[in-house]
Amino acid sequence: MNAVKRLARRGLGTLRRAVRGVSRRGYQRWRRSIQVRIVTWTLCISVIVVAILGVFLMQQVSSALMDGKVKAARLQLDEGLAQVQRDLGNSPEDGGGRLDAVVNRLKARSGPSGLYEVYIRDTSDRFSGGRATNELREESVPRRLREELRHAPTGSRSYTFGKLSYVGRESRSERGLIVGGKTAQFELYYLFPLEQEQRTLTNVARSLAGVGVVLVLLLAAIASLVTRQVVIPVRLAAQGAQRLAAGRLEERMRVRGEDDLARLARSFNDMAANLQDKIGELEDLSQVQRQFVSDVSHELRTPLTTIRIAADMLYENRDTFDDPAVRRSAELLQSQLERFESLLGDLLEISRHDAGAATLDAESLDMRDLVLRTVGDIQGLAERKGSRVVLQLPGEPCMAEVDRRRVERILRNLLVNAVEHGEGEDIVVSVAADRDAVAVAVRDHGVGLKPGEGQMVFDRFWRADPARARTTGGTGLGLSISREDAQLHGGWLQAWGEPGAGSQFRLSLPRVAGAELRGSPLPLVPPGAGDARPLFAELEAGE
Amino acid sequence: MTAGTPDHTLGPPRRAPAPRPGGPSGPRRIPPALLVFAVLTLCVAGCANVPGGGRVVSGKPVERAEQVDDPYVRLIPVRPRPEWGPEEIVSGFLAASASFDDDHKVAREFLAAQTSWRPGLRPSVTVMRNREAPRVVKQTATQAVVKVVGDQLGTIASDGQYRAAAEHIEVSFQLGRTPQGLWRVTGLPDDERAGLLLTQVDVERALRPVNLYFFAPDQRTLVPNGIFLPVVNRRDLPSQLVRALLNGPTSWLYGAVKSAFPPGTHLSGEGVEISKDIATVDLSKEAGTGSVERMSAQLSWTLRQFSEIKRWRLRIGGEAVAPKDMNVTQDVRAWEVNAPDGHEEQVTQSAYGIGGSGFLSTLDGRVPQPVTTGNAWRLSRPAVAPDYQEVAGLTSKGDQVLTAAPLTGSPTPKPLLASSRRGGRFTPPSWGRDGLLWTVETAKDKSWLWVRQRGRPPARVSHWGLSGREVMAFRVARDGVRAAVIVDVDGEPQVQIGRIVRDARGAVDVGSFLPVSSELLRARDLVWRDYGTLAVLGQKDSDTQALPYLMPVSGSAITSLGVGSLGEPRTITAAPGSPVLIGTRASNRNLVCKQRSPRDQFSEWACDIPATDPTYAR
Repeated sequence: MNAVKRLARRGLGTLRRAVRGVSRRGYQRWRRSIQVRIVTWTLCISVIVVAILGVFLMQQVSSALMDGKVKAARLQLDEGLAQVQRDLGNSPEDGGGRLDAVVNRLKARSGPSGLYEVYIRDTSDRFSGGRATNELREESVPRRLREELRHAPTGSRSYTFGKLSYVGRESRSERGLIVGGKTAQFELYYLFPLEQEQRTLTNVARSLAGVGVVLVLLLAAIASLVTRQVVIPVRLAAQGAQRLAAGRLEERMRVRGEDDLARLARSFNDMAANLQDKIGELEDLSQVQRQFVSDVSHELRTPLTTIRIAADMLYENRDTFDDPAVRRSAELLQSQLERFESLLGDLLEISRHDAGAATLDAESLDMRDLVLRTVGDIQGLAERKGSRVVLQLPGEPCMAEVDRRRVERILRNLLVNAVEHGEGEDIVVSVAADRDAVAVAVRDHGVGLKPGEGQMVFDRFWRADPARARTTGGTGLGLSISREDAQLHGGWLQAWGEPGAGSQFRLSLPRVAGAELRGSPLPLVPPGAGDARPLFAELEAGE
Repeated sequence: MTAGTPDHTLGPPRRAPAPRPGGPSGPRRIPPALLVFAVLTLCVAGCANVPGGGRVVSGKPVERAEQVDDPYVRLIPVRPRPEWGPEEIVSGFLAASASFDDDHKVAREFLAAQTSWRPGLRPSVTVMRNREAPRVVKQTATQAVVKVVGDQLGTIASDGQYRAAAEHIEVSFQLGRTPQGLWRVTGLPDDERAGLLLTQVDVERALRPVNLYFFAPDQRTLVPNGIFLPVVNRRDLPSQLVRALLNGPTSWLYGAVKSAFPPGTHLSGEGVEISKDIATVDLSKEAGTGSVERMSAQLSWTLRQFSEIKRWRLRIGGEAVAPKDMNVTQDVRAWEVNAPDGHEEQVTQSAYGIGGSGFLSTLDGRVPQPVTTGNAWRLSRPAVAPDYQEVAGLTSKGDQVLTAAPLTGSPTPKPLLASSRRGGRFTPPSWGRDGLLWTVETAKDKSWLWVRQRGRPPARVSHWGLSGREVMAFRVARDGVRAAVIVDVDGEPQVQIGRIVRDARGAVDVGSFLPVSSELLRARDLVWRDYGTLAVLGQKDSDTQALPYLMPVSGSAITSLGVGSLGEPRTITAAPGSPVLIGTRASNRNLVCKQRSPRDQFSEWACDIPATDPTYAR
């Protein structure tokens, strides 16, 4: 019993899944394919049109048939009434026999196949309800027709549709047309079975339905064919555009014929060619610029070395200068030269990244050690600023294949930034790891980031506040380089911030160098800080 | 369309220019395709109309013989009304009893609850010529006696046999008042306990003469037995007819014919079922002991009276059986061997007559061709034996029967019988198909029937039903069981039919004569045209002289035969499939008349064969 129930439930579940799957797939196809939509709409509309047309046609045929039948029936009735008048007059002596003979004659014209039945009633005869031919029952003449005739003047004729019933065929009654008329003494009814007409109508209806189905299918096929003619070039164009977007600039569409689609293809090809030219030009230009920057940096280095030697000498001997202004100039020269050097270094680094010359020197390291060492490096700076660095490190090692130099540079950058913008508040550094990835988050409680700044912080030479004093002498390229480094690892570097609530930077790296990163062990928005709409930028390395 | 067709056939080569080298030729193909489409459209549009011409379709002529299942007229009965008095109740009851619908349901409403009356489907019927309006003879507050008087024509027994019996009858109905104050019939006349009292009109409307077929004593020829069967429902009619057949012959033919159905055989299941021209007759297993062939012959001949039955199947005890050398599904016309007229009658046979010089001659052409030579005969009313070996006839005065054999050469007629009574005459001799020669010796109010087997002396038939009447003609039917006579009934010659019974010891009983029709008055001569029809010379109401009529044996209406002057017709002869011949005397010449087109019943008579007393051998 239970097994059966279980089986049934499982079967039901499978069925439901199958139905759901089919409907989902159908919906998807509906969403994605113009062809499916157009064919479906064509089907729906043509079904409606064909149905309306069919009903209309059937009504036409039916009313034409019935009109003909009624006309013939009334003529027959006129003739019958004339004969009744002629043969019976108004007073049949020996009523029965002559009445029988008249009915027989009336019926004889119906032919052996029985086109109609006749019912006649002598209104003056109290003892018989009239004469009917064959098995026809008197009840076949509807009461409403009799009433109508009873109140109508002599010689009037009426007709109606009703059900004919027969003796010995009680279970089966057929539809029929009943016409009736009366002379002074007699009521005469002709009853025409409509079996033949019904059969004709059924046949017509059946053929109409068949034709309609074929027509609808044909329309759907035509719609499918026509949309195919349009959709295939459109699909080809979409594929071409995709490939173009993917960077295959040599992609072109095939031009066939001279129609609109051919024009589309030609325009597309023109566009692609122009794009290719422009992009080539731009690439060349960018290449030249990068090369220029790289060259400039290199070229600056040689005189800088000389300047440096001279400046060092000046600086060491500054106490020998009497003029305090000169001494101050020497100090200034020294500090600005340092800054110039680091700027030059950053520029070289970033031009290396731009040229794609940056390489990953990965080794398996514990992220906690890297964090501890970097924090140790900037501890002095932090104390100077009045900030405390709070570490939240896991108990177990967080091993990852990383480039020590680059990760340290990233961390230092983040920490220096945090100290610089931390307004003397606490700086929280968290490390976490999961099966695939490790993450380091640096949280400060400074001014935070305005909306949209979460992304801009990574732009080159961007500053949160241009008016801010340069206390630490950042080059404006640090975060930019950091992000390049993170991306080199296949990781993410993301920022979150809110005005007044501080900001948080999160570095997420895969445990294995070059593996794809699916998620981060740490949240980008620090717990407790994010409201319903956190302002953050999710910039993924792969994009 | 006419303009399009040549374009279409010649168009492509003429119109299409030579394709340009290397140019696309695709668009150039469209015009012919369009043309084909246009032609097709025109064709289809033409077909969608009612045809306005075309070939001539012909069909076979329909044989409109009178069929049992022809359309009929039914009387619609009326329920008793509360205000009706005793006379009206009786009138209503008599009218309603003519309707067989729903087993006389409406008629039974006229009866008081305790009165039992179930006429059923085979009631006995008293047939009245006319009926006077019912009359109350005694009435109290709660009881009444109503009398109905009228002229009875005859009765139909419950087996369907009609028996003419003209008399004046008087029946009375007892009526009582129900507690609700309604008059109802409480007592029916004795004769009506299980029967009906119908007028002739009612009978003609509600009952239909049909034939049942039984075997003659020769076990080969079938004999029709006409009965009256109520038409309740054309669907049930075949079953009713087969039931009547299984019940055996009516009292009239009882003993004269044999049925092949073993006693106790009845219809099982639904009776006779008809689907698509094929009837299935389902007999109970008692029929298993009977001869399938003989039962099939009887059923085939009985069922062929229905136009809608073309073929049929016999089942006994639920299993289909087939006669020897035949399919299970038999044609209703398959058993011609057992035809009542014999099965070789379709061949047109020569008519014989007495030519101008007194010789027996054939009457095939305009001029009689003598078959005998030698001395001229003084023979009248010749009758040729069916085997063409002998001829019988009368002397011109009719007081002797002569025979002559053989038919060729110069045989001399020899007397066979001579009347010994004063004023005694013989009717023209009649040959049975079994070789018996029949003749009636008759005088005023007396007659004797003689029969002669070849090689034996003539013998008088011991039981002769018309011995007290004068008989003008005596003809044995081709089945050898029935005999038609013209008998003098109270001064009026009347056509009657009787039957011939032979008992085990060979004693012959000819009797049970019944009038066939009361329409024909002075009948003069008659002959069997086929098993269902007599050709009679006689006078109808307004005729001034005897004219030929076809008289159905069933008692249906007689019809006249041919038009035109016939002179003074004296004798008539007919045979199945052969033209009717009439011996007449016009402007002092004896002539034989024949219809110009014998297949047409109303074709004109042509009297141009100089001969007398025409006759057919079979």
